[in-house]
Parts: sequence; structure tokens; C-alpha cells
Amino acid sequence: MLLIRMAWLNLWRNRRRTLIAGGSVFFAVILAIVMRSATLGIYDNLIHNFVTYSSGYIEVHQKGFHEDASVDLSMEVHSELLLQLRKQPGVTAVQPRIQSFVLASGSGQAKGALFMGVIPSLEKKYTHLDRKLCAGTYPESDSERVALLGVDLASRLKLKVGDTLVVIGQGYRASTAAGKYRVCGLLQLGSPELNQRIVYLPLCHAQALLSTPDMVTSLAVQISGPAQLEPVARRLRTLLDTAQLELMTWKELYPELDQFITADSGGHIIMSGVLYLIISFGLLGTLLMMARERTHEFGIIIALGLRKENIAIMLLCESLFISLMGGAAGITSGWLLVRWFHANPIPITGKLKGMYLSYGIEPVIAVSNRPDVFYVQAIVVLLISLMLVIVPIVRVLQLEPVKALNS
Amino acid sequence: METTEAGTQAATVIDAHELSKIYNGRQVPVKAIDGVHLHIEEGEFTAIVGPSGSGKSTLLHLIGGLDVPSSGNVVLAGTEITKLSENKLIDFRLHHIGFVFQAYNLVPVLTARENIGFVMQLQGIAKDVREKRVQELLAQVGLTDKADCKPAKLSGGQQQRVAVARALASRPRIVLADEPTANLDSVNAGNLLDLMARLNREEHITFLFSTHDPRVIEKARRVITLVDGRVVSDQHHA
Ligand SMILES: Nc1ncnc2c1ncn2[C@@H]1O[C@H](COP(=O)(O)OP(=O)(O)OP(=O)(O)O)[C@@H](O)[C@H]1O
Ligand SMILES: [Mg+2]
Repeated sequence: MLLIRMAWLNLWRNRRRTLIAGGSVFFAVILAIVMRSATLGIYDNLIHNFVTYSSGYIEVHQKGFHEDASVDLSMEVHSELLLQLRKQPGVTAVQPRIQSFVLASGSGQAKGALFMGVIPSLEKKYTHLDRKLCAGTYPESDSERVALLGVDLASRLKLKVGDTLVVIGQGYRASTAAGKYRVCGLLQLGSPELNQRIVYLPLCHAQALLSTPDMVTSLAVQISGPAQLEPVARRLRTLLDTAQLELMTWKELYPELDQFITADSGGHIIMSGVLYLIISFGLLGTLLMMARERTHEFGIIIALGLRKENIAIMLLCESLFISLMGGAAGITSGWLLVRWFHANPIPITGKLKGMYLSYGIEPVIAVSNRPDVFYVQAIVVLLISLMLVIVPIVRVLQLEPVKALNS
Repeated sequence: METTEAGTQAATVIDAHELSKIYNGRQVPVKAIDGVHLHIEEGEFTAIVGPSGSGKSTLLHLIGGLDVPSSGNVVLAGTEITKLSENKLIDFRLHHIGFVFQAYNLVPVLTARENIGFVMQLQGIAKDVREKRVQELLAQVGLTDKADCKPAKLSGGQQQRVAVARALASRPRIVLADEPTANLDSVNAGNLLDLMARLNREEHITFLFSTHDPRVIEKARRVITLVDGRVVSDQHHA
């Protein structure tokens, strides 16, 4: 107790120096948090824009469908199973969809398209597909015979709202699938890939087209947040008949996306590392100075009978106090900042907006508020303060009392 | 053998044999202490005097177990401290030796009261016992009103009085003081010596201190003179 008290009091002998040292930790932590949250936010956004309108964060399908996306691998889904899946914590929506590849054409040439039968009312409710509309109107009922097109696909097919889309493909068990639909709206999605390829049809018309009444190819599971991915996947697996059905997370569905994020993350982590390295040098200087200028005092208290280990404990406490105060303040402020930015994403305007859009990224800086961002910083700061203090501690342990007294 | 005021046979507190300390100087080895024998009994009030560089500090450091002799040994209150491991030695100092140094003796962040209680606190003495003793010592050194001042707010003389009080607090077998008055003016130096002499009498604690201040020497009851690391005279005064 005496040692801890002395350590605390020692910090305030040179108040300014302690505040500068604590302040450097504070700013490093805030910066690291904001940087990390912002990049995670970008990734989350990227993933969200892609998976929400294609597979869902988690996709449930027949075994083999991922390798061979054939309508023949359609399945009937019991409403009890749907209900049960929807009840699981972390699950926000389970949407029955039917997917296939088709040839789409307007008046001119045909293009390959990703064809997706969805229930418009469910999409409106859970994925806000209606908000992605850039022209035309959203289907008013789930049975309207209309199609929604990715905006880039529409322009390549030279189709406008009100025109007729012709779809040709292969239906269930090699049946021919062909149909005509009125284009009711164009979609500007957050993914350029989807904008160039997607065709949405109400599920019932899609099923009729593909001769798969009452069947779907997949269940798209949406979750309440990126952190829920693994827990939800684990829970759902236990509910499924895994002999027939297969559950895949977006990471398994699109490994390249996951790899890209991991690689890109590496760069950001190195940047944070450099940031922490820089403040470590400053902190080490402070800790060394704090110990060195007290050499005589250490000599006195060693002479009086305080073991060197106890002085080491005192130095350790001092280092921890500085880092933890700076770190705690940094984490709290970082958390508040991130919370605010999370609730109020910054819209990007001007030239940058166009650039974001052309990359298919929503033009907002949306930060992630994942908790691991915060406790990782706490651990880093703790480790730094523990490691740095080793240097002055080793010096104290080597101190000879007479030399210390004479200094 | 000397007798104490109580008239009983005095016990030996310090017994140093054939003590030498050689420093490996830049060019030639320096014999800071050269074959010193020293025998001090309980309750003595002894000054070590000698010119600068004669080895006074070195001798006190060796006796206090702060430094290791090149040869010879030191027995303190029956324990051969020259044979103790580093941590055992620190614990021995904590329980048996009080120190007063020339200046900057006190822990700057602690108050006078806390400085006096410091050694007792390290010893793990209960708070109420400790506080009672600190209060008593504060009164003895005349600093009751400065009890809650930090050292920076005390004069040099007051700081040394706190240091003396701290050295005595846990009633060690011996108090070693290396030039405790060197940074004080003559009035304060005299006062500090009077204080030490009184505590020596009242608390019956053995004092061994170094000085080259003639007025301080007068107050000692035994004066050991060192020259070039050797004892050249050892006189008892009345
Ligand atoms: N660490 C050291 N390395 C080398 N020589 C030393 C060291 N410490 C002391 N000496 C030498 O040992 C001798 C005795 O020094 P010491 O400090 O004991 O003298 P002193 O009597 O206390 O002197 P002063 O009155 O100036 O305090 C001196 O010659 C000094 O130069
Ligand atoms: Mg000296």
C-alpha cells in the first residue's frame, strides 16, 4: 500500500511530464481506435452491401448447390423450420430465395444475369431493397409480374423502366424457362458486381418460370451485426439436417473477399503498431528519467531497509498508472467518438462521393463499434507499459546502495 | 569493559576486525580503509573524525552493510553481516540499523510524519503503535507543528531532525550518521547534536557519527580519528 501510494505521489512530482506521457498514450489510443473502427466500418459496409442483396450473411442451401448452382438442387422449406430459424437470437431475417443464372435481354443483345427470386415485401422490410431504387417503383405486392434490374445491367441491355425484359434459362430438370416481365424499377446497389448482373423477380413468378413451385434454392440469413456471424452460424447448424442441407457463412461463400480484408487489415495493424512504437520511445524516456533522477532517493530507502524488488514494484505501478490513465481516457473518448460516428455516419460529398459510388461503396464514413477494437487497445497499452518498465527496473535491481547514495 | 548508566555490563554492538576496503582507482588502487579494528558498546556516543578522504564515509558504509569490505568482517549485535546475502542484509538493516545521511535524507513525496513512520511501516508495525511513536518522536525533535509538511517545506535543520527521528523510530541497535551536520549552520548543527545526545541518553540507542566540525566533536563522548583509512587515535571523554 505504501509503495502504491508513493508511486502515485511520485507521478505528480513532475506533473507536466506525467501529463505529457499520459497524453501521448491517450492520443495514440484514440487514433488507433478511430483508425481501426473506420477501416472495420468500411469492411463491414463492403460486406453488407455485397451479401445482403445476394446470399445473405449466411446461406442455407442443399448440399452441392455452392459448387453447382443448379435449380435442380432446389428444396422445399417447411414453415416450422423457417419459424425456428427466425427465432434464433442474432437472426434478423431469413429470406427464401431462388437463384439461377439466366440470359436476360431487352430489345437488343442478351447478357448473362444473376437471377434472384425474392419476396418483395420481406426484402423491403429487412434489407430495404426499396431504398436502393434509383428509377421506377418498387413492386406493391409479392405477386406483381415485374422485374427489378441492376442499373448497369439495364443500361447494357438498353432497358428503361416500363420496358419488357426477356429472360431465358434452364428450369427444373432441364425444362425450358422463358418469360417476359415489365421492368418496374432500377436498382443502384452498393456493389458494382451486383449492379451489372442482378435481376430480381417476385418469388412466385421466379418459381413459375423455373418450374419449381414451392421450392427455393437457398435461405438468406441476415444477422444483427458482423460479430454475430460465427455464433449464429454455430447455432443454426445444430438446427439443420446436415445430411441434406449445408450452411455457409459469407466467408466461406466468398473466400476472396475475406482474404482481401485480411490482407488490407494487415496494413492498418502495422500502422497502429508504428504509432504505438513511437509513443513507446517517449514513454520509455519518461520512465527512465523518472527512475534516474531518484537514484539518490533509492539509495536512501535501500539503506533504510527497502528491498529493491519493492522499488521495482513501485516503478511498475508508476508505469501502469501513466499508461492506464492515458489508456482509459483514450478508450473512453475513443468509444464516445466511435459511438457518435456510428450513429451519425459522415456523408461524403463532392468529388469523393462520385469516386466512392464508382467503386460501389456507399459514400459515407461509417465506423464500426466492434468491442474488440477497444479491448485490444487496452491490452496493447498494458503490454507496452509492462515491457517498457523492465528497463528502469533492471537498472534499479543492479543499483549499488553506496553509488546510489553518492549520486 | 564500559558500563552503561544503568550500571550493568554493556553488550558489544559493533565489532569490526581487520577491516579493509580497497577501491580500484583509475591509476592506483586506493586503500580507503586499511586494517581497522573497531569495538563499540551499547549506548556509546562516538564520533569518527578525520580529514576529507580519510575514509569516514567508507567505514560507516561498511559497518552499516551498505558496502562490502575487501577483507575483514563486521559483527553487528552478534550477527556477522559481512556473511549475509543481499536481501538478508537489507532486512537486517531494516530491523537493526538506523541511518542519517548528510542531506536529502527524506522521501520527498511523504510528509514529516510519514517519513518518520516509514521504517516502522516497512517493518509492518501496527498503525496505532506506529502513530503513537511518531507523535512522541515529533515532540522530541520539536516538530509537532510541522508533522504534515513535505520535506521541501522544511528547513535543512528541520529535515535532519526528521531524519534523526526516523532513524530512531523503530529503536534500532545502532544509528549510523554520516556527517549529519555538514549542511547545517553552526547553531543548527549544535542543536542537532544536542538532540542526538539527548536521544542517546533517553532512548539508550548507540550512535556512531562522522564529522569534521570541531564544535560537534566536543559533544562526543568518544572520538575516533581516521587518517588515510587507519585509526590514529581513539579517545574517551568524560
Ligand atoms: N567509489 C569509489 N571509488 C574509488 N575511490 C573511492 C570511492 N569512494 C571513495 N573513494 C576513495 O576512498 C577514500 C575515502 O573516501 P571517503 O568518502 O570514505 O572519505 P571521507 O572521510 O568520508 O571524506 P569526506 O570527509 O570528504 O566525506 C577517498 O580517497 C576516496 O577518494
Ligand atoms: Mg564522507
